[in-house]
Amino acid sequence: MADTNSQFNSRWLPIALALPQLLLIFLFFYVPIYMAFFWSLSLERPFGGGAEFVGLQNYARVLNDAEFWKATWRTVVFMLIGSSLAVILPLILAVAADRRVRLAYPARNVLVWPKAVAGASIGVVFLFIFNPFIGILAPLNEVYPGLWQPGLDGTDAFIMLIIAHVWGGIPFNFVILLAGLQAVPQSFHHSAAMDGASAWRRVRDIQIPMVLPQLFLVFVLEFTESVTAAFGLIDAMTQGGPGGATTLLVYKIYVDGFKGYDLSGAATQSVILMVFVLSLAAVQFFILERKIRYER
Amino acid sequence: MKLNTISTAALALAVAAPAFAADIEFWYGNGGRVEEAIQAHCEAFNASQDDHTITCVGQGGYEAGMQKAIAAYRSQQHPVMIQFFDAGTLDLMLSDAVVPVHTLFDDVDWSDYNTGAKGYYQTSTGELFSQPYNGSTLIFYANMDQLAEAGVTEMPETWEQVIETAQALKDNGHACPFVTDAHPWRVLEQFSARHGAPIASNNNGYTGLDAEYTFNQGIIAQHMVNLQNWRNEGLVRLAEDTEAGNYTRAFYAGECAMMEGSTGSYGAAFESLGEAVRISMAPMYDGVERKNTYIGGASIWVMKGHDDASIEAAKAFLDFVRQDDQQIAFTEATGYMPVTMSALNTLVASGRNEELVFATAEMGVESLNQPGTDATRGIRLGFYVQFRDIFKEETQKAFAGEQDMQAALDNAVARGNELLRRFEQTYQGVQLP
Repeated sequence: MADTNSQFNSRWLPIALALPQLLLIFLFFYVPIYMAFFWSLSLERPFGGGAEFVGLQNYARVLNDAEFWKATWRTVVFMLIGSSLAVILPLILAVAADRRVRLAYPARNVLVWPKAVAGASIGVVFLFIFNPFIGILAPLNEVYPGLWQPGLDGTDAFIMLIIAHVWGGIPFNFVILLAGLQAVPQSFHHSAAMDGASAWRRVRDIQIPMVLPQLFLVFVLEFTESVTAAFGLIDAMTQGGPGGATTLLVYKIYVDGFKGYDLSGAATQSVILMVFVLSLAAVQFFILERKIRYER
Repeated sequence: MKLNTISTAALALAVAAPAFAADIEFWYGNGGRVEEAIQAHCEAFNASQDDHTITCVGQGGYEAGMQKAIAAYRSQQHPVMIQFFDAGTLDLMLSDAVVPVHTLFDDVDWSDYNTGAKGYYQTSTGELFSQPYNGSTLIFYANMDQLAEAGVTEMPETWEQVIETAQALKDNGHACPFVTDAHPWRVLEQFSARHGAPIASNNNGYTGLDAEYTFNQGIIAQHMVNLQNWRNEGLVRLAEDTEAGNYTRAFYAGECAMMEGSTGSYGAAFESLGEAVRISMAPMYDGVERKNTYIGGASIWVMKGHDDASIEAAKAFLDFVRQDDQQIAFTEATGYMPVTMSALNTLVASGRNEELVFATAEMGVESLNQPGTDATRGIRLGFYVQFRDIFKEETQKAFAGEQDMQAALDNAVARGNELLRRFEQTYQGVQLP
């Protein structure tokens, strides 16, 4: 590449420039992944010493473990519901904001700020908001005692988790989608309006097709992120409970590895999760992306 | 040749002379008042002698401390001593990363440690693997003002009386007669110990790694079913049912009238409720002979891979915190109990045991010193920290009505046994000490 690029005189300079980053990726990505693969094939003692090679036994154990499949199922449900809401809600908001609303520009800036809030902090705040005794749903409990109990009822806890996740995802997706909508030429709207197309019809036939690249981007990011980003929320809000109802795979890996000292089991599940996320992204890129036309 | 010998000897001397002094690290998990008391121990130790310097580093929790110790040990950056909690005892015993404390000393009377403390951290042949440090146990708390309002003046001693009292409180319009978080330390381990019913075969794992959980039948299972029924009747509340959202805070705030809790909770309870708080040993079922309870809290482990000077320093620190006055100062500051009988006797002899800050010391030790059996020495089961989570998860589902309590216990036993089998395989060929 270097000799075809006139910007670099030496072929080593671009490599040297990329080296620090490559080194970091090697140290903090490829080495841990290698270790995870290695540990997933052995029974590793927490303090080291005497790791026994067991071949694929860990995989057999994990894949036969009902708890693993429950956590995987919860992860998929969380991903589908959480990501869909985290894309559809901002899309609605963006379409609304695109209609030349006053203060749209400052609003766009203000709205992105929640993106900077860490998952754990969001978790703490929402735990307070959804407290069954003092939160916003407390009046509900006074009318129907026991209706909202995220500390005891698994479904309630799961709903709470999804709401917090979606709230955290709205700002970024909103900004991306709004930018896409703003790039749609005004002439399209005008001619469609002159042809008598209703507002809804224009959304469906002009705006959404035109922002498909942005929609694709936020969907890919949301899907892959929702698998791992829920960790901070879960740790702050539910610790996987009640009764394991919010133990997504990423939290189960943490608990198994760091509280259960089951390094091999945690490594095995990490490898499976990684393969899952990679294939998810691959499916999106190879199948969905082909249907998207970027040029306008 | 002669010169060579002399210089070698001189060199040896030069190396040996400072070899007695060492700077060592001690990692601990507690925060808050306990952390201050630990730091006070460290400062007092440094001030008491010139040879060694100890640096005590808080790790933000027992579990976090263990995680960091594992990572540090793997990269050979580990401290000389680490404080670790009861549930991880077997994980550390088999880790091959620690030196049993009894092998370090010739002159310590280990039998002076109280029965509950000894049993938990002993090998199967009765030698202490770690030195008990901050010890607590389970006791029963009642708010006598609220009991009096319901016409009860006696402290309930049996579960039958607890429930009778709870019924009286409920009839009197009390919304939360008895509160628990249903944590296995309280409802499973301490219950099984004092009722003499082991939770697993092989005397809770003391005689072999091939132990299996057995708590899904007998009096333990009956107690769990009772707890659920009592909750449905409004006699027992879970922490999640309370406004405080936490069982000790619900008791401190006067929201709930009775609880089972650690001796360490007494200070805070007295601070908020004053003379209304009364304590006793944890309740028994009628007709069951009382056995000892287990020690909670943590002990100090000496880690492998350090030079002799560091080990000397560690021994000096362990000797220091074992002293009666140091234990009494620690008890006064934290509400933990003295762990040796001589410390307790010194406290009683001084008459200070009547003081409020020492209210739990005698009762706690009495509870730990009740006659025991081979099955009430402690818990010696692998991956036990994770098992506690499993127990909580399954019983929470039962309390939420998603499965019945018997099914929850059966599931917990089955999942727990899987952990035990994997532990057994992980430590294949390792002899249980």
